[in-house]
Amino acid sequence: MGLVTAIAGLAFGLPALDRSLPSEQPVRADQPYLIGGGVTVVPPPGAVLDVTGTRPGDEDGSVLFRLGPVRYSIVVQPFDGTLQAAARRLRQRITDTSGYQLTGSELAVATRSGVAGLQGGYTGPGRGGRYAVFVDGGHIIEVTVSGADLDLGRTLPAIEASTRTLDPS
Amino acid sequence: MVGVRFATTYPLAALTAFVLFGLLAVPFWLFVSELDFFEREPAALLVVAFSWGGLVATAASIPGSAALEDLTAKLGSPSLAAGWGAALAAPTVEEIAKTLGVVAIVLIARAQVNSVLDGIVYGAMVGLGFQIVEDIVFAMGAVALAGNGDHVQPVIATFLLRGFLSGVWSHTLFGALAGAGIGYLVVRTDRSRRVRFGVAVLAVAGAWASHVLWNSPILDDGLGNGGLALLAVLVVKGLPPLVLILLLVRSAHDREADYYVAQLATLGDPELITEAELGVLKSSARRASARRRAGRRGFLAVRRLQRAQARLAVELSRAAGSVSDGSVGRWCDEVREQRRILVGMNHPEAISAPRSWRQTASTVATTVLAVAVLWAALSSLGGA
Repeated sequence: MGLVTAIAGLAFGLPALDRSLPSEQPVRADQPYLIGGGVTVVPPPGAVLDVTGTRPGDEDGSVLFRLGPVRYSIVVQPFDGTLQAAARRLRQRITDTSGYQLTGSELAVATRSGVAGLQGGYTGPGRGGRYAVFVDGGHIIEVTVSGADLDLGRTLPAIEASTRTLDPS
Repeated sequence: MVGVRFATTYPLAALTAFVLFGLLAVPFWLFVSELDFFEREPAALLVVAFSWGGLVATAASIPGSAALEDLTAKLGSPSLAAGWGAALAAPTVEEIAKTLGVVAIVLIARAQVNSVLDGIVYGAMVGLGFQIVEDIVFAMGAVALAGNGDHVQPVIATFLLRGFLSGVWSHTLFGALAGAGIGYLVVRTDRSRRVRFGVAVLAVAGAWASHVLWNSPILDDGLGNGGLALLAVLVVKGLPPLVLILLLVRSAHDREADYYVAQLATLGDPELITEAELGVLKSSARRASARRRAGRRGFLAVRRLQRAQARLAVELSRAAGSVSDGSVGRWCDEVREQRRILVGMNHPEAISAPRSWRQTASTVATTVLAVAVLWAALSSLGGA
């Protein structure tokens, strides 16, 4: 009995304790946030930081913002391929997830600092999404945004404005 | 659930991971199960231990470790979780989950855990099961992260990195240390309860500390990216626990061997065991040497004799404790039968041979080959 309790404590107790504590922290929308690998982004107004999806590092890193029910995630990793290869890699990961598929065509985008990227859309069970990918300075920057279509429509302009502030200086 | 999703999305990569890491488990399994030559553990219990590590401990550790890492981010900071989350969360949850596997074995079959070495064997088996399943999960995670579809390259890279370079000082080793503590707690009833609990806690804490050191970001940035830097990190972070735990295993092994050989020495019957064979039986290297010395035909016969002698020693110890079921006579007969077979082969005594130049050359060549393979793996991974 004690053995079962101990295992259950690890498998279910710790996650329950984790869920009982808030994961969101305020974040300033008027100054760059360091994601990792030297890449920064200015968060969109009204966003909060979700610490469970945020792991800054010297060589790589990730950040997760939430705007209500919308997830805005940016992942930075070392990468030595082309932008096309980076986009293909992200698209493959999206479509490898059961029930997810790409929508529309891919468009060229650029950040304010001049880093070229590609962006597109995808859809999954009960939610839509946007992705963007940039390659610069030996790093890949992957952006994914997901949420219900109505929420996405309301928040995408602010998120796209935030994405343009990505700066791999 | 996650495993089924990976297997259906990346069937070739999943099959490759299962085969490669399954094969990797074989030498570890043989080594661990041979540790206790005298009182071999029942195969069913070894399977239970392996399954606990591979199924129960991993199933509990995946959500538990993720939650603890998130708690580190919430109560500390995302930076703390990024740097030390994996070093603190995973060892804490995983070492507890694995140690509970040895406790489960004690609860299921207390009579089978009667030496510290038994605890080591069961702990190592739990760790081995955990290691193999975790490696497969990591390999499939690498396939998904690569975003190239159902390709095997990430599996092979994970196999080289986690299977070879970090496999030696991973969960099998940590599990053995924690298992030694549980074994001590259960077996050493001649010591006070406080001492036994203290030793058990110290052993589990040692496994945890070794795991923390291995997962820690220490030296991650300081030695560059080359193969030599990777080797230095492996040596600094992996070698101290490896040496410490191997010495502990050696000590427990020798202690048990001395005990059982002393039982056989009381017989004073050279037909059952000679003076020279007593020395051979204590050491796995000398036992193997004695088998080789008997040639191709005599190899199996010597092994059967040694196993019969070992079993006789166990039965003698049980008889001394008044728990024998009359098996001493039966195993005496078995030893005599095996001796008769050996005598028929003109090989009456199972003793080890002096070390020949061919054995030395073979050892040197194998070592050079192993270092070359290790160096190639380090160079390709460290330079990647």
